[in-house]
Amino acid sequence: MKITITLRGSLRKYLEGENERIVEVPEGCTCDEALRSIGIDYKEIKNFGFVAVNNMRVMIYAELKEGDVLKAYPRIYGG
Amino acid sequence: MTMTGYQNRVLRIDLTNRKYSAEPLNMEFAEKYVGSKGLAIRYMYEELKPGIDALGPENKLFLTTGPLSGTPAPCSGKLSVAAKSPATGTMNDCSIGGHAGIRIKYAGYDMIIFEGALERPGYVLIDDDRVEFHDASDLWGRGSHETEGILAKQYGIEYTVLSIGPAGENLSPMSCINSDYYRQAGRGGIGAVMGSKKMKAILIRGTKGVRVPEIKKTTERMIELLQTDVLQEDNTYIYDCGTTAFLEACNDGGILPYKNFQDTTDPEWTEYNGDILLKYRKGKRGCGSCGLGCGNFLQIGEAVCEGPEYETISVAGPNAGVKDPFKIVKFNQVADDMGLDTISAGDTIIWAMEMTEKGIHDFGIRFGDADKMREYLILMARREGIGAELADGVRKASEKFGGTDFAMQVKGLEYPQYEPRGSWGMSLSYAVSDRGACHMRAYAPNVEVFEAAAPPYTAEGKGQIVYDLAEFNAIKFSLCICDLWGTIDYEIMAELLTMVTGRNWTVEEMSEVGRRVINIARAYNQREGFNRKDDTMPRRLAKDALTRGPAAGQTIPEEAFNDMLDQYYKIMGWDENGIMPQELIDTL
Repeated sequence: MKITITLRGSLRKYLEGENERIVEVPEGCTCDEALRSIGIDYKEIKNFGFVAVNNMRVMIYAELKEGDVLKAYPRIYGG
Repeated sequence: MTMTGYQNRVLRIDLTNRKYSAEPLNMEFAEKYVGSKGLAIRYMYEELKPGIDALGPENKLFLTTGPLSGTPAPCSGKLSVAAKSPATGTMNDCSIGGHAGIRIKYAGYDMIIFEGALERPGYVLIDDDRVEFHDASDLWGRGSHETEGILAKQYGIEYTVLSIGPAGENLSPMSCINSDYYRQAGRGGIGAVMGSKKMKAILIRGTKGVRVPEIKKTTERMIELLQTDVLQEDNTYIYDCGTTAFLEACNDGGILPYKNFQDTTDPEWTEYNGDILLKYRKGKRGCGSCGLGCGNFLQIGEAVCEGPEYETISVAGPNAGVKDPFKIVKFNQVADDMGLDTISAGDTIIWAMEMTEKGIHDFGIRFGDADKMREYLILMARREGIGAELADGVRKASEKFGGTDFAMQVKGLEYPQYEPRGSWGMSLSYAVSDRGACHMRAYAPNVEVFEAAAPPYTAEGKGQIVYDLAEFNAIKFSLCICDLWGTIDYEIMAELLTMVTGRNWTVEEMSEVGRRVINIARAYNQREGFNRKDDTMPRRLAKDALTRGPAAGQTIPEEAFNDMLDQYYKIMGWDENGIMPQELIDTL
C-alpha cells in the first residue's frame, strides 16, 4: 500500500533534505516498520520524538492504512 | 569554601530611606543552591517572614545571577527575578532573558535586593558601585516600551533597563517586568511587586569582570560546547522557527487548547502557524551570551513584536477562537507595552468569553473578538471599566461571578497553553509547581506526548516522570542556563560549574541541588500554609471530555489525579497531605 512519510526538523536528513516522500509498504505495516524502510530506527536516534498519522499523535507501533500520512518529529525541548 | 565565578557581593537597596550597601554573598547558601533560581529562593526563605503582604514594604525583590553569568557559557544570559507572589501568595521566581543578568554581574554583584518602597514614583540607576535614585513622575503611566525608549535615549545603550508598564503600576497580579523591550519576567504579578515599591524602572551598567581559574582553557571549552552541543539540529530549530515550532507538534499531539480549554486541536491552525508568521520576520535576536538566538522580530503592518512565542500564539489564537496572524502579533505588542503576562491576561479574557457565551455573566466579549481582546488588555492594565472586573485574574473573577469549573488556574496562577487531558502528567506538573500553574518546572509533554512509545492517558508512572523533569529544570535554572539548550545534561552542567567555580561539582551533586531547590520552594509555601488542598486541577478536566484530536474522549478522573499526587509526594518524602517533615526542612 502507498503511504506518505513527512519528516520534521532534524529528521529531514533521512529523506536527503526533502520534507516528504510517498513510499510503498506492506499491508498492516506499523509506523515503526514504515520508518525503518527509509532508514529511521527510532530506537537508535537519541532525539527521536513522536509520530502522528493524519495529524493525530499515535504510538510508534500503530498500524497504517492505504493513503495515510505518517509524520515523524524530533524531540523539541522547552515550553 | 571559596568559589570563583561569584562576585561574593550582594547589593542591598533600601528604597524607603534611599540608602544602599554591599555585603558578602552567603557562600553557604551558594554551596547548597548554586545560584539564580535556587539561591533566590533560599534567600527568600531566610528574609521574607511568613504572612507578609506581597504588595507591602516587607516584600523584597531579588535579582539573582549565577556563577556562569557573565562568562562565555552558552545560553547563560538569564536572570532570576523573585519575590513573594501577589497572585498566589507562594514564592515566585521568574526567569528573564536579555542582558540584565550579565550587567548585574559586571557591575560586581551576584544579587541585588530591593527592600521597602519609594515615597514617590522613581527609578533606580546602578553603575558599578554607584546607586542613584531618580524621580519617575514623568514616566509613571507610560507603557513599558515608551519608558525604555526614553531612558535608553537619556542614558545610552550601556545600560540595561528593567521596567514596568501601567499594569505593574496598578498592582495587577498579572503584571510583568520588561527588559530589552520584549523580554519579560512574566508571571505571578512580579511587576506589581515593583509597582508596589513605586519603582518604574531599574537601570544597570557594569564594567568589571568575572574571575575564573583558567580563563583561556575555560573559554575554549565553552566555545567547543557551543559548537558541538548547542549548535546541533536538535537545538537549532529554535533559531530557525522560535517557539512557533511547538504549534504543529502540540496540535498533532492533542494538547493545543481551543476556546478556553473546551477542546483541543484547531482545524484552521495553518492560518497562523510558524510558516505564516515567519514570512513576516524582519530580524533575529538572542540574549547575552546566547548562541541560539530564539528571538524573531515580526512586523505585520503596524503590528510589531519580538515573538510571538508559543504561549501567546495559543492563548491569543485558537484558545480565543482567533486565527488572524496580524491580530495575534498585535495582542503580543499591546500586552508587552502594558506590562501584562500574556498567559494570565489571555486566560482571564478567554474565560470571560466563555462566561459571556454561556450566559453566566455578560462581559461583553465573545470568542473570535480579537480587537476587543486588545481593548480589554488596556482596560485591565489600567483597572478601568470592564477591565476592573478582570484585572485580578481568573480565580478572583470566578469567585465573584461563577464559572469556577473552567477558570483554568492553580493557586491563582493561570494555566499555560498545554491541555492536560492530552498529557495527564501535565495536570500533576501544574498542580505541584512551586508558583502555581507553571509549565517551566516540569514540561511533561516532552516525555508523554513528544515521545514515541509513552502512554499519555494514564496516571501510571507520572509521579516519577514529573519529578525527574522538575529536578532537572531546578538545577538547570539555578545555573541560569536557558530552557532552550535542550540537549544539555547533568555531565555538562557539572563540568561548566567546575570550570567556573574551581570546585569539583559532580553529577550526583547536580541532582541533589535540583531536589533541594524543589524542597526549599515547597518549604517556603508550606510555611505560608499551602498543602495538598492547594495542589489542584480545574474541575473541567475531570468533567468535560475532549471531542477532537488524539485525546478525544479523555477526561482525567479525580482518582487518577489523586494517584499522581500520591506518587509525587512519596517520591519527595512528603506526607499524604503534601507536608514536608521537619527533619527534611532542617536539611535545607
